[in-house]
Amino acid sequence: MVQFNRKSTLRNLTVNDAMRRQIIQLDQAKTIDLGINVLIKYKVNALLTVDSQGKPVGVVSKTDVMGAYYAGLPVESPLEYIMVSPPLFCRSGDSLETALEQMRTSGVYRLYVTDNEPGDLVGALAYPDIVGLLYQYCHQCEYSHLKTSRESHQDDSVRRFNVREVMTPSVKSIGAGETLNTVMETLSAFRFGAMLVTDENGCPRGVISKTDLALNYKHGVDPGVAAHTVMSGPVSTCDVDSLLEEAIKKMTMIDIHRLFVHEGEMSNIVGVLSLSDAARVRSGSCYACVSSRIKVEDHG
Amino acid sequence: MKTTAADIMTTNFSTLLPQTPVIDAIRIFQGSFNKQGRRLFGMIVSDEEQHLVGMLSMYDILLYLRPKHIHVWGSMEDLEIAGVIDAAGSRIKSILVGDIMTPDVVTVGPNANLMMVLDTMIKKHVRRLPVVEEQRIIGIVYISDLFSQLLERISD
Repeated sequence: MVQFNRKSTLRNLTVNDAMRRQIIQLDQAKTIDLGINVLIKYKVNALLTVDSQGKPVGVVSKTDVMGAYYAGLPVESPLEYIMVSPPLFCRSGDSLETALEQMRTSGVYRLYVTDNEPGDLVGALAYPDIVGLLYQYCHQCEYSHLKTSRESHQDDSVRRFNVREVMTPSVKSIGAGETLNTVMETLSAFRFGAMLVTDENGCPRGVISKTDLALNYKHGVDPGVAAHTVMSGPVSTCDVDSLLEEAIKKMTMIDIHRLFVHEGEMSNIVGVLSLSDAARVRSGSCYACVSSRIKVEDHG
Repeated sequence: MKTTAADIMTTNFSTLLPQTPVIDAIRIFQGSFNKQGRRLFGMIVSDEEQHLVGMLSMYDILLYLRPKHIHVWGSMEDLEIAGVIDAAGSRIKSILVGDIMTPDVVTVGPNANLMMVLDTMIKKHVRRLPVVEEQRIIGIVYISDLFSQLLERISD
């Protein structure tokens, strides 16, 4: 019998199950320009910096790159000027719960993973990877929304998370004529990953993410230019009542980190859902996920 | 007999600037067969003074097109691949060659002998080597040309 409870799906899973084995790293003496190249090419939000002996010494995230852009630091400056030290580590055998707790209390989005031998780097763990793992479980699960909608004879009585329950309900937007400097100030003040750009009627017209800012920094764009000249569009959205599973699927498929959430009219943006938000829920996309995950493991 | 990199390099090659949009580079890749009679899978990136600053290969572009979370797609049957490809294609439009090129490029001098060129290509897993003299690019050696040259000698 299916037991409905809200215990975490992550129980019994280890860091090893979710981590990425490819570690994106650069010598701390390399330039920020090269660092942006690596962040863009490998689609990561941060890279590990190492010293001349290959020892990890810091982390450079897109937030740090944005800070350098805002401060007017030449893009040829070495990564060591902006890296945050030291990098934080966990063990591959640690439980995912423990790692998530460490990320939450330390206020970081990423941990580097060592094997049992100290200093032996084996991977990196970031929020989107945890969501990816959960999505995989959800998709294979017999209670999967996608599966039950195909087999319509089954009674889909499982209670599922919808976007409203998981999203961040406040969205900060700026006018299309505001400058990139204002975008960076606002992103920094509210710790957002991206800014919605609206027209004079308040309708969403585009988005400026930290990735966009990093690219503009590398391309030598003056941070005094208006937001509408560099924003990317159209805005990727989902309905506030859509299923979390569908929203995660959309983000996973088209490689975006967040969806703006609308209620009623498309222009009425009421929240934002990021892959990191989904990871913080620490569960799958429905309330039955504990039992279903165990079934998946039994088959494994 | 041809024995050095200079002997087998081609001097008829296209270069890209770091500020060239990747989408324009893709069009040059597509048109390369007509222009050079060779299907290109990698191009040299240089500054205005013909100094080497990187290489843009087919692999760099494919790496960028690869969905970040593809490892969780697994056995999903309900994928809309056309939409995924369109989304990746749309995203690449704002990307310049310098954003995704490989900046650390292995090179050889014009006097490098063919066995040294062969060894470098195998060890470094590269199929093309810029030939650089006094910091300027003077040619490019393709693995196919090296292979043809060696076969010709061996089969004589």
